[in-house]
Amino acid sequence: MSKITLENISYVYSPGTPFEMHALEGINLNIRENAITGLIGHTGSGKSTLVQLLNGLTRPTSGRVLLDGKDIWQEPKKIKQVRFRVGLVMQYPEYQLFEETVRADIAFGPKNMGLSAQEIAERVSEAALLTGLDESLLDHSPFDLSGGQKRRVAIAGVIAMRPEVLVLDEPAAGLDPRGRDTILNMLRDYQQKTGATVMIVSHSMEDMARFCDDIIVLAHGKLVMQGRGHEVFARSRELSDVGLNIPEISRLCLMLRERGIPMDDGIFTVEQAEQCLLRLLESREQRTEGYV
Amino acid sequence: MKSITLGQFYPSDSILHRLDPRMKVILAVLYIVATFLCKNVLSFALLLLSAIVLILISKIPMKLVLGGIKAILFIMAFTALINVFFTKGETPIVEWRFIHIYAEGLWQALFMIVRITVLIVGTSMLLTYTTTPIMLTDALEQLLAPLRVLHIPVHEFAMMMTIALRFIPTLVEETNKIMSAQKARGADFTSGSLISRAKALIPILIPLFVSAFRRADELATAMECRCYHGGAGRTRMTILHYSPKDFVALAVIVVFGAGIIVLNRLGIGYTM
Repeated sequence: MSKITLENISYVYSPGTPFEMHALEGINLNIRENAITGLIGHTGSGKSTLVQLLNGLTRPTSGRVLLDGKDIWQEPKKIKQVRFRVGLVMQYPEYQLFEETVRADIAFGPKNMGLSAQEIAERVSEAALLTGLDESLLDHSPFDLSGGQKRRVAIAGVIAMRPEVLVLDEPAAGLDPRGRDTILNMLRDYQQKTGATVMIVSHSMEDMARFCDDIIVLAHGKLVMQGRGHEVFARSRELSDVGLNIPEISRLCLMLRERGIPMDDGIFTVEQAEQCLLRLLESREQRTEGYV
Repeated sequence: MKSITLGQFYPSDSILHRLDPRMKVILAVLYIVATFLCKNVLSFALLLLSAIVLILISKIPMKLVLGGIKAILFIMAFTALINVFFTKGETPIVEWRFIHIYAEGLWQALFMIVRITVLIVGTSMLLTYTTTPIMLTDALEQLLAPLRVLHIPVHEFAMMMTIALRFIPTLVEETNKIMSAQKARGADFTSGSLISRAKALIPILIPLFVSAFRRADELATAMECRCYHGGAGRTRMTILHYSPKDFVALAVIVVFGAGIIVLNRLGIGYTM
């Protein structure tokens, strides 16, 4: 079931001026419900422009954005409701924190929704729990926290709105490998616990291969591929043709195949490669035994 | 946020781009003086012509320049109206109750519009559109260097100006980002009473100030790491040299000024 559908979306920056730039051209895509979708592309491929269309922060130059089959721009005055349903966490979201306490900052979204004080408190605790923030941190100033904690506070601020779709633009950018894994694992847990639809933007193939069910590939404002992770990574040669780095391990398998070792197509984790190699080794042993 | 093209550098390879920035500052000052010398139709016509010539030789698209003028349309309209209604003269055109409009008032309004337009176009052609902000502050620092005798920290002022100019686009971009982030959390900046709108600015201003201070701190550290210690004994990477074309430009503007004075003397039509 498709949660969000983009129909023939184009977006042009400053049209009619010398600085005119086509950021997106003729994009058609589906974001599957109850799944984690990864959006991959180079810097300048239009990723960030695309995510801002999903919650109505910007209006497409042409084309339609459908949420549950309904055009989000049908009633432009009610676009705020769409923003509560599609939660967007921008790049480096820790720079948007402003309240005196973590608690108040997480409550900003729910407060804008006009909820009761009790409901807001409930949601804040829930969001803190989901993002792994300790209850004792809630009364600290957000400016006293570490970088990773600040980012989790910012994500909690969006999760507290209980969005049906959670979109995150480069949630792991600028974090060390451990911080990156913590955030991505947290997002996967969040998806499993709440059954929400999640979309993660990244340019790291490795992360996307490990954490996403579906993959969408953008290049130069155009859609290159979309599908399940294994389907997309099976076309690793096409991916490297558009200049995207496929996961290291997939590249290794590709190189092995070129040298005559019959590795499977569409390997993108070390575990898969290990199993495939073990299988090959086994069959080879059987063959040599046969000769003896 | 998008319409701040007035006073932005536009890269091109015209003769105006290649003039020495110090000379361009001098030329701009002289040009401003020239706009105020104009007194009658002939001299204003020459002034308007000179502005058009400036745009043409600067190789900057006319559309961009006219777009920049749009920003001051209101001021021009206001000035024109004041002049039309409040200039007393001898040849009345409309006299109805308390409204008296004289031919002199219309001329005056027309002259003021031309003057303001040319003032903006001329200075932006000579300076902001064709000179990078860094070159401009460099030029100002050197032109104002004599003030050091009076213990005015000219270098420090120039450095502050350079940094301020450098960070305007960065802060604009930052503001847009923060606004989007808060809008994504349901913040509303466009509706409600004046007080609630002012309150809605807090979620933008606090992160903006925090990041401005953070940037300032980082910049100070980076400058110290490169042993910056103010202007004393500092040498320059690019040393400005006047070339013959600079003096030709100076001669042209002097002749232009003389031309305006001569045309003023001819005394045709209304004289300001």
